Amino acid sequence: MWLRSIYLKTLRDYRVPILGWGIGMGLVIVSPMASVSELVRTPEARAALVSLAQTFVWNADAIAADTVGGYATFKIGIFIFLIGIWPLLAASRMLRGEEDRSSLDMLLSVPRGRVRVALEKLAAMWTALFAMAVIVGVLAFLGGTALKASFGLGDALLFGLDLALFCAVIGGVALLISQFTHERGPAAGTTAGLLLIFIVLDMVHRVIPNTDWISRLSPIYYYNLSKPLVPTYGASLGGMLVLLALAVALSAAAVWLFARRDVGDTVPLPRWLRLSDRVAGPSRSLPEREWSLRSVYARSLGMIAVPTLWWTLGIAGGAAWMVIVVQQVEGKLKTLYTDSPFLTDLIKNLGGANAEFNAAFLGAMFSLLPLLLMAFAVTQVNRWTADEDDGRLEIVLSTPQSRPVVLFGRFAALATSTVVVAVATLAGAALASSATGIKLDSTNLAEATLGLVPMALFVAAIGYLAAGWLRSAADTGLISFLLAAWFFITFVGPELKLPEATLKLSAFYYYGTPLLHGLQLANVAVMVAVGAAALALGTLRFARKDIGV
Amino acid sequence: MTASIIEVEGLTKSYGGKRGIIDVSFQVGEGEVFGFLGPNGAGKTTTIRVLMALLRADSGTARIAGLDSWDRSLEVKRLLGYVPGEPSLDPNLTGGQLLEYFANLRGGVDQAYLKTLIERLDLDTSRKFRQYSTGNKRKVVLIQAFMHRPRVLILDEPTSGLDPLNQQEFDGMVKEAREEGHTVFLSSHVLSEVEKTCTRVGIIREGHLVRIGDVAELKDIKRYEITISFAHPIPVDAFTKLDGVTDVETLRDGSAVRLAMQGAADAVIKAAAQYPVVSLTSYEPSLEDVFLRYYERDGEAPKEAAGVA
Repeated sequence: MWLRSIYLKTLRDYRVPILGWGIGMGLVIVSPMASVSELVRTPEARAALVSLAQTFVWNADAIAADTVGGYATFKIGIFIFLIGIWPLLAASRMLRGEEDRSSLDMLLSVPRGRVRVALEKLAAMWTALFAMAVIVGVLAFLGGTALKASFGLGDALLFGLDLALFCAVIGGVALLISQFTHERGPAAGTTAGLLLIFIVLDMVHRVIPNTDWISRLSPIYYYNLSKPLVPTYGASLGGMLVLLALAVALSAAAVWLFARRDVGDTVPLPRWLRLSDRVAGPSRSLPEREWSLRSVYARSLGMIAVPTLWWTLGIAGGAAWMVIVVQQVEGKLKTLYTDSPFLTDLIKNLGGANAEFNAAFLGAMFSLLPLLLMAFAVTQVNRWTADEDDGRLEIVLSTPQSRPVVLFGRFAALATSTVVVAVATLAGAALASSATGIKLDSTNLAEATLGLVPMALFVAAIGYLAAGWLRSAADTGLISFLLAAWFFITFVGPELKLPEATLKLSAFYYYGTPLLHGLQLANVAVMVAVGAAALALGTLRFARKDIGV
Repeated sequence: MTASIIEVEGLTKSYGGKRGIIDVSFQVGEGEVFGFLGPNGAGKTTTIRVLMALLRADSGTARIAGLDSWDRSLEVKRLLGYVPGEPSLDPNLTGGQLLEYFANLRGGVDQAYLKTLIERLDLDTSRKFRQYSTGNKRKVVLIQAFMHRPRVLILDEPTSGLDPLNQQEFDGMVKEAREEGHTVFLSSHVLSEVEKTCTRVGIIREGHLVRIGDVAELKDIKRYEITISFAHPIPVDAFTKLDGVTDVETLRDGSAVRLAMQGAADAVIKAAAQYPVVSLTSYEPSLEDVFLRYYERDGEAPKEAAGVA
């Protein structure tokens, strides 16, 4: 049944994301709901929460932030970038990704017009988005009911619909941009950049009075017009219609361009917009001095350089931002901290017990850094396994390079990148600390940032080991699941009173709270030993396995 | 045959429950151009990938220059140039970058010779691999295989996607390699290519090596036809029971015969000489015909092993 049409086949391909992203987004909504009642135990704490939310109003609207629905809406507003990731990846892959793999040629050889092929694929993505919306709505409703929230199922489904429409707009942007790029990566990257610009444009009217007209240029503005989980605020039909119109217009433009351009090529830009026309004749020259072609390690470093730059900006920038934020919200958070046992426990669990508030709060925020660097490592493990799946190791392994050398070359390049990210994070946090006057123990800061390296390499080693048996998608899925499970154990486990033995199963346990207490040498040794053993076993397996089978 | 440089003995490889190759044995002499024939899924690529130490054999041995291709793969790969059946390279590197990269990984590549090969195959090295046509992608892979003048070339369907002009250039490169004493192991199902370039041929079918010998030797098992015209009708019985004749057809009221032949024609020629012969024509089968005969099975097309190359 699922192979009867392009629409059904594409929908079939989306079945895992529908469940994964649907449930994931649903949990992102439900998680903050659970904490509201704990955060507003006393009138002072309630006032502090409302005041704190107002501090972040530049980032997201804080309407009825002391209610279950209002707080959840506020929190999802902060994470709006994450919500946009799936549609931008899916839409940039929808046509351009198939062209990259040359599979679109085959699809277009069947007696179906280009417009129909594109529309069937687009319809499948929209169906997937609305299926996710239903999952999000149902989960939000169930969570709200359990916590005696004041919104009903209809409100929750409208909330999901608003999210789906926003995602459809982002998908439309990515689909349109992918008509102008040769590969899906730049289309996804450009759309992610635009999404950041949309977030900033939406912020403007909340920070600078009388600038609504600027924020109206961002689809996030229209998404924010609806807050169905806040019954006193409700949904905006107008806002949703604007989102729908934008999604349709962007997608229609993309399909129109797709139907008129060469398959495998881009929409031709006007001459004045082209960077440079290729006028030189064919070349026979060789780049004899290019450093990145000298060895497997150098080539791997060349491949990882650009992603490293972006992840460095994100992680180092994030660390600096955390330091700055701690100083800005110190007073308000302190009230919440002392009045909310939940927040006290959470911060102590993550940031370290018996610590000064600032340090504990910063420690808790810094605990997100290993998660980010480990996610970066997961993307690079995926690249390694995909290279084998796609047959790109075949000729490399026909040269007199041993299999361990090839594997170590790739791993060493990843290690180099993680060191670069860690050092940049150290520099960013130290600069922010000296600029804001927040006092941080320089040794602990160095250990907290440089300690990220063994964490990332640990997850990479597990990924390399599993790659000995699993294909790319399964391997990436496995280590992503491990990452999520470790995160859950460390962040939620103490609240659930999980036994110490279970907490020790999480890699984050071994990172500890280095900003306060420095790295525990024994813990680091465990990580390094297990990681080294995984890498050694992975190397042995790679040296003996059938390639590409 | 000269001393063997490739020795394959009882090689067996399966993919889980699926058949790959079964008990394959052959030898290739140094300086020989050996053609490895078979339809899709017969086991050509599996054999080659075992030789390249990309797959580990379940049993049997594969040796190159006396070295076990798995246990001493590093030393073996110093001797080899390889063209995979489905080449896949980093799509974001230019042809020039790819060639430079592989030259660095190999070491000791003569840059002048590399540039000669680029000129010879007329490759534009400034384009990214993903922008190349199928033929140009194949040129990159061919150049990287030949650039270090390897002692043994292992080429899996090397000319697929090349235009006739470049195929001719490739034939020249193989000929030169042979003249320099290098060995070429070439898999193909383009039989005219094998007929043109190879000295010996092995035929693999459903994982088994079914025939091996000189190209000329393979032709000995051919079926062919002889048509003889006579000045007047002759008795057909004179040909029906002769050695090598498998079928006789009478033409033009008995003044001509068409004989289906297998084996030597000596008896036919001697029998025909008893009568006034006007003309004699023989239809020579191409290697395609020889090849097809090996894959005939009661009129059915050979089955392909799905998913196994």
